[in-house]
Amino acid sequence: MSLFGGLDISASALTAERLRMDVVAENLANAQTTRGADGNPYRRKEVVLQERAGSSFGASLSAAMGGGNSKGAGVEVAGIVEDQTPLKRVYDPGHPDADADGYVSMPNVDTVAEMVDLIGAQRAYEANVTAMQAAKSMFSKTLELLR
Amino acid sequence: MLFDTTQLALERSIEGAGKRHEALAANLANANTPGYQRVDVDFHGALASAMGRGEESREALHSVSFSPAQDASAGAVRADGSTVDVDAESAKLAANALEHQAAVQVAHARIGILKSAMGVG
Repeated sequence: MSLFGGLDISASALTAERLRMDVVAENLANAQTTRGADGNPYRRKEVVLQERAGSSFGASLSAAMGGGNSKGAGVEVAGIVEDQTPLKRVYDPGHPDADADGYVSMPNVDTVAEMVDLIGAQRAYEANVTAMQAAKSMFSKTLELLR
Repeated sequence: MLFDTTQLALERSIEGAGKRHEALAANLANANTPGYQRVDVDFHGALASAMGRGEESREALHSVSFSPAQDASAGAVRADGSTVDVDAESAKLAANALEHQAAVQVAHARIGILKSAMGVG
């Protein structure tokens, strides 16, 4: 468990941060979409992250052998939820989806907030890549003991 | 006895640094998890108390275990209650990797001394 545990933990974070970037890209792509999959205007999606419980074989084994508890098995995506904040109402009577008063419900996507989320996910990704590189160099240093 | 207490302590500190790296990597992995409480492995403290046992320190070093514990002293750095400061975690990670490297190099040098004493180095 111990030798590659650090890499597994960082890898779980890379997966999670990459999904956050994917969801931000989807939000940005659909910032003007008035007809989503369900026919209603697109709603901003958000990734919910949670701590991953050590349920892998290695974690269970090390816990059973008294090698400490199995805390810190990385991160996982709990789900992707829709942002339920109100949709933006834009006056555009010529729009095919305008209501009787001439207002169109536009997605509740704030492009500036999405860009900030994108940068946050990108920086978190980089931090975890650094942690992975540190783990890699630690392993190769340990292997030097054999020389 | 071929390997003395110091060599054993070096081996255990290499293992402890590995465990601490896992804890710090888990903190970085959960940098965006709401309400996450950072964990840390105090392998210095565990090793120091094992080393301080005098005659029994060898057995104590053998049986010392490193387990991650929640860091209750860390204050929340984010509005969602998370106590992970990415900069501080990165700094600790880098320092820990250097400590690991130092322990490996000293252990390597000591093995080299043994080898030349045996005439195989």
